[in-house]
Amino acid sequence: MQAPPLKPNAAAGAHHHRANPTLLAALGLPTEVPADWRARALTKFDELLHTRRSLKLYLDTCVRCGACTDKCPFFLGTGDPNNMPVARAELLRKVYRRHFTAAGKLFGPLAAGEELTDAVREQWFTYFYQCTECRRCAVFCPFGVDTAEITMAAREIMASIGLATKYVSEVVDKAHTIGNNIGIPEAAWRDTCRFLEEELKEQTGADIKLPVNQAGAEVLLVPPSADLFTNTDTMMAYGKFFHALGVSWTTSSYASEAGNFGMFLNYEHLKKVNRRIVDAARQLGVRRLVMGECGHAWRAAQAFTDTLNGPLDFLEKPRPEHILEYAVRVIRQGRLKLDKSANDGLAVTYHDPCNLARAGGIIEEPREILRLIARGFREMPADTIREKTFCCGAGAGLLTDEIMETRFAGVKPRIEAFCASGATHLAVPCAICKAQFPVAFEHYRIDAQVVGVMDLLAKAIVL
Amino acid sequence: MQLWLSLLLYLAAAVFLIGLGWRLLNWLRTPVPLKIPLTPGPADRRGVLWRLGGELFAFRALWRADRSLWTPAWIFHVALVLLLIGHFGGLETPRFACATLGGMQAAFCRVACDVGLPFAGGLTGMSMAQFGHFEDISGGLVGAVAIAALLWLLLRRLLAERVRSISTFSDYFALLLLLLIIVTGNDMRFMGGLNIEQARQFVAGWLALHPTPAPADPVFTMHILLVCALLIYIPFSKLVHIGGAALFSPTLNQRNNPRQRRYTGPWDKTNASATA
Ligand code: HEM
Ligand code: SF4
Ligand code: SF4
Repeated sequence: MQAPPLKPNAAAGAHHHRANPTLLAALGLPTEVPADWRARALTKFDELLHTRRSLKLYLDTCVRCGACTDKCPFFLGTGDPNNMPVARAELLRKVYRRHFTAAGKLFGPLAAGEELTDAVREQWFTYFYQCTECRRCAVFCPFGVDTAEITMAAREIMASIGLATKYVSEVVDKAHTIGNNIGIPEAAWRDTCRFLEEELKEQTGADIKLPVNQAGAEVLLVPPSADLFTNTDTMMAYGKFFHALGVSWTTSSYASEAGNFGMFLNYEHLKKVNRRIVDAARQLGVRRLVMGECGHAWRAAQAFTDTLNGPLDFLEKPRPEHILEYAVRVIRQGRLKLDKSANDGLAVTYHDPCNLARAGGIIEEPREILRLIARGFREMPADTIREKTFCCGAGAGLLTDEIMETRFAGVKPRIEAFCASGATHLAVPCAICKAQFPVAFEHYRIDAQVVGVMDLLAKAIVL
Repeated sequence: MQLWLSLLLYLAAAVFLIGLGWRLLNWLRTPVPLKIPLTPGPADRRGVLWRLGGELFAFRALWRADRSLWTPAWIFHVALVLLLIGHFGGLETPRFACATLGGMQAAFCRVACDVGLPFAGGLTGMSMAQFGHFEDISGGLVGAVAIAALLWLLLRRLLAERVRSISTFSDYFALLLLLLIIVTGNDMRFMGGLNIEQARQFVAGWLALHPTPAPADPVFTMHILLVCALLIYIPFSKLVHIGGAALFSPTLNQRNNPRQRRYTGPWDKTNASATA
């Protein structure tokens, strides 16, 4: 997508709702911005500088070469210069210079240092919540400067002074108290599974179970809770898949969420949300832990679980697995009978969720599956897929209505690429993307449908 | 007798070495709590070396991102490294290896003279004196290339809207400083205002910790003063990246293997006990 001319402050008015005091208290955060917030923020900043090399190194080494400037979907969509990754990072870097470097302390503005003021704090809250931590900028930076790391640090600093968004805080709280992001309690979880079992019976004629809390099952499948709520085709697909394989599996009503919004708030909550999955797997005595179709969930699971809450040595395979990785393995073993023609007539393309591609290494698996089950599969333009994929524009806590304009802007590069592919169906293994794209298609008046990769696979499975 | 220039240069070199060392040590000492390699990425050490080598020597990410930036940036860096080699290579000691810049000629060194010269001389039919002269010319050429690349980078900064908007004073300062250093250097080579032998003796003596008086040449003095400024400036600015920032960068230097082996975050111990 062509880079737009700079439109200063074009996105300055897009604000998230702030979390209310009750919510903040529940998360152990200050309930309002304290009078001494400046000192507290700098203390937290200092702590992070000493505990995260990514933050320190990336603040130190950016040479402002500009290679990343036209790589961020939010800059491409809004034209707001503060949405260029390097400029976004500068919002934190200028404070770093002023307060933590010799040059900045001595020369201030001449060394591009800036005092941490109310105005800067507002900029942080605005622009670090217009970054989906998608890492596209990092792919093009000569030093691998990952602005997502900067955004995470900035959000962590803000959280430490009681600045968090309503959406992220609510979701984290629900994950802690109920076990999933949507807030589906155990009874409703079971009810929905029963209902979907009946649906599956109607569709396939088979008695396919969606087991809940079944101790001793081989596989604990942790789906994004949206699979039980809006993307029920995907939930039913898991059921048909394991049924066809004859593998015993279960979901857990305690850890009924693959997603981890803690990652979008701070380290402590990342760890705590992640913990539930490990505890559930241990309690149920399963042998394998498989993650459903979700991008950031997979990042948190595959890259962080073992470090934060491991070791997972009670499992037969002591690491989380991705459902598509699992599927590719059993397909290669010839354990599934597939009928490609089930998906005939669909012009399908594949959207790489940023966290699967750039932080989870799931890139070829979905393609291998799609080529086997959909004759109409085609790719979007090469500079918009795989590790160069464009974010859906709603990750990292942006999937909320009050910043709809930002979301529409962020998804624009992806929409253009989708149109270039000529597809009618967008296959996407991520719950956030699945929620964002239908809204975006409607906004841009595109007649297309969003499906899960597992949905298409399940359609092709012959029982 | 300009002994003070030598002393100043020692001071600047000390600031440079200690400052840069301190910054690198700080990066090294700061823990990397989680696995954050960019994927797809290599799971083994050899693959990581390739990845880092690609960034270090070919500026791979920059190539992917923007060829019109890659070109001047890469040419400038190669020219800079060649100039550095050329400076030390022109001396009796220490002996450094040679390098080539594309089809252009190399900056030659004494190793070439002691070991390689009979060989190279045999090949090219050049005498030792001609060889020294050639080194001058090639060094000057590399300098001219570096100046062109720097001007390109500077113009890009001034003219490209997005890059201009993110540029700070220090970005221009670095470019101007380098331009001036290389311009004064080339001025001496080409305008012939300076006795090269004398300059060599100065640098050789300086390196051997037996400082000799600097040639009384205003351009030479200026060149050295600017170099001092650069040396002092490097540890305190974005130029710290000359320490090889990519090598320290977890998105690039981590093995992409959290699914094969457990990574234990170095500062996670306290956290782990809190929830264990
Ligand atoms: C890890 C490998 C390196 C990479 C990827 C890299 C990349 C870059 C980039 C992208 C710029 C900015 C150019 C611009 O737009 O102005 C730059 C500037 C510069 N680099 Fe490097 N560099 C590397 C290593 C080095 C080394 C080893 C040296 C020293 C010999 C060096 C010296 C400089 C200098 C002096 C500048 C200043 C020019 C300016 O400020 O724009 N770099 N580098
Ligand atoms: S590509 Fe990297 S070094 Fe260049 S401006 Fe962006 S963050 Fe800075
Ligand atoms: S991580 Fe993604 S959204 Fe954030 S600055 Fe980089 S490209 Fe933009």
